[in-house]
Amino acid sequence: MNPMDIVLGFIGIALSVMIFSYLLGDNFFFRVALYILVGVSAGYGAAVLLLKVIIPRLIEPLKESGTDAFWLGLVPLALCLLLALMLVPRTVRAGTLPLSFLVGAAAAVGIAGISRGTLAPQLLAVVNRFSPELLLENSAADWGGIVEAFFILFGVISVLFYFHHRLSRKGAGTQRPLLVEGISDVGQVFLGISFGMLFVGFYSAALTALIARIVWLKDFILALLAG
Amino acid sequence: MKKTLPILVAVLTAVFILAALILRPQLNGWLDVVLNWAVVTASAALLVAVATLLLTHLRAILRGQRGFIYSIILISAFLVSFIGALVLGLENSAYLRWVAAVQLPLETSLLGLAALVMTGAALQIFRSRGWSLLTISFGISALVFLVISLGLLQALNIPLLSTVIAYLQRLPLIGARGLLIGIGIGALLTGLRVLFGLERSWGE
Repeated sequence: MNPMDIVLGFIGIALSVMIFSYLLGDNFFFRVALYILVGVSAGYGAAVLLLKVIIPRLIEPLKESGTDAFWLGLVPLALCLLLALMLVPRTVRAGTLPLSFLVGAAAAVGIAGISRGTLAPQLLAVVNRFSPELLLENSAADWGGIVEAFFILFGVISVLFYFHHRLSRKGAGTQRPLLVEGISDVGQVFLGISFGMLFVGFYSAALTALIARIVWLKDFILALLAG
Repeated sequence: MKKTLPILVAVLTAVFILAALILRPQLNGWLDVVLNWAVVTASAALLVAVATLLLTHLRAILRGQRGFIYSIILISAFLVSFIGALVLGLENSAYLRWVAAVQLPLETSLLGLAALVMTGAALQIFRSRGWSLLTISFGISALVFLVISLGLLQALNIPLLSTVIAYLQRLPLIGARGLLIGIGIGALLTGLRVLFGLERSWGE
């Protein structure tokens, strides 16, 4: 082990212990570790934005005066200057224009991305279950497949019913017909099952991280003792 | 005019990008230009957010507010990390090793801590939300998938059990599909509201 590894290893141990000190309750060391994480991450993130985006995409084109890139670069420059004015309390409203530009761009990219990347594939995955190629095995009906296809369709519709039912109940406070209530309840069960599986997935990942951290600590201490 | 201009900018930007995405070959060059503006502006917005964070903590230090020691730690960590990147460069191996030596133990330890906190939080859900179809199915599902994820049942190599497990593992996909479609429809509607000038999420 070289001296640099030892120093970085001790930093790792100290930071890990500071984080796990939360098990004794919210304390000074835990907070210090969190503020270090925020500071280092913000510094690294700001450096990436500056060196990888702002300088090559905004500053570099502005150096080539008179070219198309220069004139096109004036628009984001103006937007960035308006954003910078948000740092001064008196001129905070100047940021409305660049933010509205960003909202418009995000909305358009979102509409295109969600309709093509989420909605269409998910809806097709439900509808394609009813495709004759899947449901006909050797020209005879695959009843298991048909039942499963209807079950999935009903499940997805019931989850959407639950969302709609929850939103409308929040707004109006009215009692829904029994059938709607029933379908919405089935949606709750399907959602609960999905959340349960997601919980287990995240829990397993977190547990793996915990074990990996303990193993790393053990290995580092053993390597240090071995010289 | 003060209120109309931002709406006009948002609507025109959204309409232009959508039109360019549909009429790709004709407007491809301009789409790249506008998306580049959006990337630069979004980066500048994030830098402004970081600057605001630093200014808030700087004010806390100057005023000697309670807990200003944390502000000193945050600003010091920021300066070391930021100046380090500017002086050594983002690809410098020593710099990257140093950043990883701080971030990796903190993030993995936080994730490990989350495992311990989540155990309590899972029980807390029954106290806060009561016994409902959602919480009961969540609890049963979590227990079942926890047992399945151990892999002990699969190791028994019983064909019927394997079929049941395979079916159970497909079951959460139904709720997840409904969830994704619901979120997709919600996001699509928000996007359309911006497109028609009904949504003003720029802090008016």
